[in-house]
Amino acid sequence: MILEAKDLNYYYQDGEERRYILKDTSVSFEKGKFYTILGQSGSGKTTLLSLLSALDSPNSGTVLFNEEDIKKIGYEKYRRNNVGIIFQSYNLIPTFTAVENVLVPMSITENEIPEDAKTVAYNLLDYIGIVKSKADRFVNKLSGGEQQRVAVARALATNVELILADEPTGNLDEEMEQEIIDIFKKLAHEHGKCVIVVTHSNEIALQSDQAFHLRKGVLSSYE
Amino acid sequence: MNFIKRGFLGITRKKGKTLILLAVIFILGNLISGAVSIQQATGNVEANIKERLGAAATLELDYEAVEDLSEAEWLEIENIGVDLIKQIGELSYVKYFDYSTSIYLGSESIESYQGDMEGEIFHSGPSMDYKLNGINYAPVIDFEEEKGKLIDGRVFTQEEVDNGTSVAIISKKLAEKNDLHVGDTFTLDNAVYDYDEETGEEELITSRDVVLEVIGLFEPQSVKEQQEDNADSGMLDWMDIEYQNTVYVPNEIVASENRYHWEEYSKMDEEFAKMMEEDENAFEYFMPMFFLNSPEDSEAFEEEVAPLLPEFYNVVNAMDQYDSIAGPMESMSKLSKYVLLVAVIATVLITGLVVLLFLRDRKHELGIYLSLGERRSRVVGQILIEVMVVAVIGITLSLFSGNLLAGQVSDMMMKANDNQDEYYEEYIYFGDTQIDLTTEDVLDSYEVSLNLSYILGFYGIGLLTILISTVIPLIYIVRLNPKKILM
Ligand SMILES: Nc1ncnc2c1ncn2[C@@H]1O[C@H](COP(=O)(O)OP(=O)(O)O)[C@@H](O)[C@H]1O
Ligand SMILES: [Mg+2]
Repeated sequence: MILEAKDLNYYYQDGEERRYILKDTSVSFEKGKFYTILGQSGSGKTTLLSLLSALDSPNSGTVLFNEEDIKKIGYEKYRRNNVGIIFQSYNLIPTFTAVENVLVPMSITENEIPEDAKTVAYNLLDYIGIVKSKADRFVNKLSGGEQQRVAVARALATNVELILADEPTGNLDEEMEQEIIDIFKKLAHEHGKCVIVVTHSNEIALQSDQAFHLRKGVLSSYE
Repeated sequence: MNFIKRGFLGITRKKGKTLILLAVIFILGNLISGAVSIQQATGNVEANIKERLGAAATLELDYEAVEDLSEAEWLEIENIGVDLIKQIGELSYVKYFDYSTSIYLGSESIESYQGDMEGEIFHSGPSMDYKLNGINYAPVIDFEEEKGKLIDGRVFTQEEVDNGTSVAIISKKLAEKNDLHVGDTFTLDNAVYDYDEETGEEELITSRDVVLEVIGLFEPQSVKEQQEDNADSGMLDWMDIEYQNTVYVPNEIVASENRYHWEEYSKMDEEFAKMMEEDENAFEYFMPMFFLNSPEDSEAFEEEVAPLLPEFYNVVNAMDQYDSIAGPMESMSKLSKYVLLVAVIATVLITGLVVLLFLRDRKHELGIYLSLGERRSRVVGQILIEVMVVAVIGITLSLFSGNLLAGQVSDMMMKANDNQDEYYEEYIYFGDTQIDLTTEDVLDSYEVSLNLSYILGFYGIGLLTILISTVIPLIYIVRLNPKKILM
């Protein structure tokens, strides 16, 4: 198990009442597999992903990375060394070029980075489908699909085994969506990564190795 | 792409914001720089004048405190004894010290120097033109401190001082007038008169000769030097004449003449005789003078000496006299202090707000760094680099323009000061020496310049101010929540 959630509870206080977004959620993920978490808007998908990526902490319960509590690893350290996060709205730095955006996490992580980081970044972008001429453009001069590819390259730049994505194709048309999903499949099946994608799209869920369904704060297997 | 590189990219990639920040810092920097320039200039004046005042100190009765005492209480006041003077003289702050006593004597055989006032002075009663100035410090402190300069012969030996040998150093002018040379002797009269209250006449009771051998000649150094174009020099002439007729001798000579004088006088006046009997130290009154190693020692010296002194005595530093002539300088210094304070506060607020506004625009970017696991301290570091690099440029530019501005403003203020007709000259008296400084001297030594201490002072204050102004924005960064920003 590369990632495991145990009895996660996440609620907010509404007057006297506790409103649970996640209730006693437990789930585990393996390397080399492409997972999806399916749920309607407002069902708590982003909340779950923020807990798995240590951008937020649960009210109770633990997240284990390689059997170790991420709280013990340290949230910041876990984020910079162990996980790559992809957002629905890309979240690239607009004043930087594509390749500069990919270089940012490489300078933050403590993982080993080859000395010619820039070459590695160009190669990574090329592999994801961004050629060199586009890699040197400022990211706001790229299309949505291209921007999300840059974001995927950025998530991979630190050589992590765990990729978390929150509705990564939500802003893309169907053709682009499929290209991104193909990349995720390739990363899981050819490169042995654990890819977890949150989505409200049935088509994507059907392509995953395993899909979960989130409803009323409860996570279940989805067939 | 680490935080340092990102900081520099933040400057070059957002030129508009960089220029706005630069303009803000430059304008406020001019205010700070101007104020610091004026501060430095006034500070220099103070140091300069105090340097000229020298590091002298003496012990004086606190005349204000003593004023209300009854006559009996007056008599209770202790003299400062030689032992105490020597004890204080041993302190590490003291370069050299002396104590002296003086007596005025007349002469039948030599003529005093009268300068330009020759023939203008009408004597009424006996003349006492010669000031016998006793010393204990054989090389003569007045020469070391360049009040006078030995131009012929030699100074005293310690032996002559200790034994009270009848040797003297007189001024060259006095020697010339009486055709005296080193090795010659001359005679002064210690004459005791009785004052008749009815007739107002003075009657000679007795007199004895004081025969002194000339061992050296001196020339005054400072008093008349710079005063050529000064029409109203009567006061200075008088000071000069007094000094030209001063005769340096060992303390013991003066003490012995004093003793003779009052003993003879006591024979005439019983009341006085009684008073003298009660106070056997009455002739042992010495004026002490301490010259310190450095003007900076003045305060420490004063602190250490004050507890040793008998009641009603104070340490008086030459420095203390500075305040009495610093008038226009003070108002300038005060004004610049306020300008500096206001400029610093304005800079902190305005720069802080400008930086905060820029950061709010960039919270997305900062949230991304945090989501990628960047340490908050490095995000803070990146912003500090972005602000401080621009600040250094802005401050460096205003370093020169602000200094220039301060020079112009000061010139204008000085002119305004000059035009006021109440242009006054004040002389400083210290102990029994007069220090030759005027308000004009103070104004003359004021100069706004680009010196090292100004540059360091301004960079220090300027950069510190900008640094403080980034505190508000930094709190903002530390509180950022990447989940809320990005998800
Ligand atoms: N602090 C909060 N206070 C009130 N409601 C919240 C808070 N945090 C999340 N929610 C609500 O929890 C629900 C789950 O949100 P989210 O995890 O973003 O769902 P999804 O990503 O599946 O659309 C939403 O209805 C959201 O409005
Ligand atoms: Mg969501």
